[in-house]
Amino acid sequence: MLELTLSFLVFGLLAAVMIVINYLLGPRKPNPAREKPFECGSPPLQAGIGPVNIPFFLVALLFLLLDVEIAFFYPLALAFRDRGFGGLAALGTFILVLALGFVYAWKKGIFRWS
Amino acid sequence: MIPPPAAFFILAAVLFVLGVLAFFVKKDLLTQFMAVEVMLNAGNLAFLALAKSLGKAEGQVIVLFVITVAAAEAVIGLAIIVLIFRQRKTVQTDELKDLKG
Amino acid sequence: MTTFMALAPLLTVVFGALVVLLLEAFMKRANREPLGYVAALALLAAGFFVIRSWNRDLDYFGGRLVLDRFSLLLIALFVILGLFVLLMGLKYAARQGMNLGEFCGLVLLAVAGLMIMVSSTDWLVVFLGLEVLSVASYALSGLKKTDRTSSEAAAKYFLMGSFAGAFFVFGLALVFGTSGSLDFSTLLAGGVSGAGLAPAGAVGLGLILAALSFKIAIAPFHMWAPDVYEGAPTPVTVFLTVGPKAAGLAVLFRLLVPLLRNEPFAAVFGSALSLMAVLTMFAGNLAALRQRSVKRMLAYSSIAHSGYLIVAVIAGDGPSLVFYLVVYLFMNAGAFSVLAAMSRKGVEYTALDDFAGLGRRYPWLAACLSVFLLSLAGFPPTAGFLAKFYVFSGAVREGHVALAVAAVLASLISVAYYLKVIVFMYMKEDQGEAAIDQENPALYLVIFLCLFGVVQLGLWPGNLLALIRQALSAAF
Repeated sequence: MLELTLSFLVFGLLAAVMIVINYLLGPRKPNPAREKPFECGSPPLQAGIGPVNIPFFLVALLFLLLDVEIAFFYPLALAFRDRGFGGLAALGTFILVLALGFVYAWKKGIFRWS
Repeated sequence: MIPPPAAFFILAAVLFVLGVLAFFVKKDLLTQFMAVEVMLNAGNLAFLALAKSLGKAEGQVIVLFVITVAAAEAVIGLAIIVLIFRQRKTVQTDELKDLKG
Repeated sequence: MTTFMALAPLLTVVFGALVVLLLEAFMKRANREPLGYVAALALLAAGFFVIRSWNRDLDYFGGRLVLDRFSLLLIALFVILGLFVLLMGLKYAARQGMNLGEFCGLVLLAVAGLMIMVSSTDWLVVFLGLEVLSVASYALSGLKKTDRTSSEAAAKYFLMGSFAGAFFVFGLALVFGTSGSLDFSTLLAGGVSGAGLAPAGAVGLGLILAALSFKIAIAPFHMWAPDVYEGAPTPVTVFLTVGPKAAGLAVLFRLLVPLLRNEPFAAVFGSALSLMAVLTMFAGNLAALRQRSVKRMLAYSSIAHSGYLIVAVIAGDGPSLVFYLVVYLFMNAGAFSVLAAMSRKGVEYTALDDFAGLGRRYPWLAACLSVFLLSLAGFPPTAGFLAKFYVFSGAVREGHVALAVAAVLASLISVAYYLKVIVFMYMKEDQGEAAIDQENPALYLVIFLCLFGVVQLGLWPGNLLALIRQALSAAF
C-alpha cells in the first residue's frame, strides 16, 4: 500500500514539476493551429469521408510497414534468455535493414510535402 | 466461456469462403484486395485454432510471419492501386482492358 | 554440414540489392548504368559461392535451408537468369522510362526469393520465398510508371498473385493441422506410408497446388499470365516467364515425386495433374495461334511450355525437368531479347507486322530469332528438340503414353505460329519502316550467349546432362 502511495506521489510530483516548467519556460504565441485540440494536421471537424492528401498516403504506407515489423519483437522478448547474443544480433540486423529502408524512403523524398 | 478451437476453425473456414466469394463478386480493385485480406486473416485464424488444438507453438509464430508478409503485400498493392487511379481516374477492374489478345 | 556459409549466396544477393537501392537514392549523376554493373557483380559473387558450395551439402536454420545439389543447380540457373535480365535492362531502362536503380534492386530481391524457394523443404520458408519473389515481381511489372499497360499488368498480377497467396496460407494451415508440422517430410511420411492423407490434409495440399499453379501459370489458373507478360517491360517478362516457373516446378517436384509413387495419392493428384498438363499445352498453343502481337504470342507459348514441364514432373523425371528448364531459359531469353532489340527511344515494336521484312533489314537479328523460335518449336539440331525429346521419352518410359502423345500433338500445333513469325520475317514485304536503335552492346551479348547456349546444348548436351544426373542421383 505504501509503495503505491509513494509511486503516485513521486510520479504526480514529477508531472506537476514538468507542467510548471513548461508553463514558465515555453513561449506563448497563440495561433489558430495551436488552439485546436488535436494538432496533427487534419481539422477536427470535417465530413467523415473526405479527400485525403497524397503525402498522408505515402506516410501511411511507410507507417504500416514499420508498425507491423514490430511483430517480430514480441517472440524475441519471450525467447530472449534462451537465444542470448545470437537472437539480439539477428534482431539488430533486422532493424538495420529496416533503418536502411527508412533512409532510402527519406532520401527518395517521402517526407518532402508538396 | 471460450469456445473450443474447432469453433474458431469453422469460423476461419467460413471467413475464407466469404473472402473468395467477395473476390469474385466485387468489381473494383480495392474491395477485391480487401477480400484477399479477409482470406489471409482467415488463414491466420485457422493457424491459431489448429496450433491451440495441437498444442504447438509453431502455429502462432507462423501467424506473425503471415501478418508481416501481408503488410508488405498491402503496401505494394495500395501503391499499385494509387498508380492505376492516377492514370485512369477509376479502380474498376472492368476498365482494365488495354491488354487484349 | 550446418554452417553459416550456406547463407552466403542468398546474403550476397540481398546485400547487393540494398547497396544498389541506396546508391541509387544517393546518386547525383543521370547515367545510372554503374548500378547495373554493381548488381551484376553481386550476382557473380553469388555464383562464385554456389560453385564453392557444390557437393558440400551445406544447411542452416536447423535444416530449413538446404543447399543440396538440386537446389544449387537451380540457384545457378537463377543467377544466369538474373544476369541476362540485368544486361537486357541496362539500355532498355533509359529508353522506355524505367528507373534502372529500382529495376536492378528489385531483380536482385526477386532472385533472392527464388533462391529461398528452391532451397527449402519447410513450407513456411517456401511461403516466405514465394512472397519475397511475388512482392518484388509486382513492383517489377509496373516499373514503367507512365505506361498504362505496364501498370495494368502490375495490378492484374498483384490481384491474382495475392489471391493465390491467400490460398497458399489456408492450405498451409490445413496441412499444419493434419500433420502437426510444416516440414515436407512429415507430410510425405503420412502420404507415403499407405495410410493416405487425412481428408483435410488432402484439401490443404490441393489448395497449395492451386496456388503454385497460379505462379507457374498452369491452366486453369493461367488467365492472368498473357496480360501480365505482355504488359510488363520486356526484360521483366523474361524474368517472369522463367523464374517463378522454374522455382514453382522445383517445389512441386520435391513435394510431389515421392507422393506420386504412392497408389491412392497418385490416383487423385496424378490424374488431376495430367488433365491440367494437357489443358495447359492446348490452351497455350491454340490461343497463341491467333495472336497479332509477337510478345503476346510468346507469352502464350510460355504457358504451353509450362504444360510440357509438368509432364516431366508427373513422370518424376528430374534430369529432363532441369535440362528443359536450362534450355528454356536460353531459348526464351533469346527470343525476348531479340524482341527487346526491336525498339528505340519510347517505342517498342512487338506487332507481327513490324517483323515483316526483318530478314532483309536486320539479317542478324532475324537469323537469331529464327534459331530461337525453331528451338522453341522443337526442331533438331537445336536444344529445344533434345529437351522435348528427353521429357516425352521419359513420360513414355514411365508409362504415361497418352500424355506424351498429347504433348507431341500440342507441339505440332505450336510449329504453326513459330513458323508464322519466320515466314513474316523472310517472305513478306516490309510495310512500316521500324527503325531500331542498335546502340546496345549488353543486349547483343545476351543474344549471343543465348544463341551459344541453344546451339551448344543442342549439339553437345553431354556435359550438362552428366552434371544434372549426378546432381539428382543423390537426392531422389
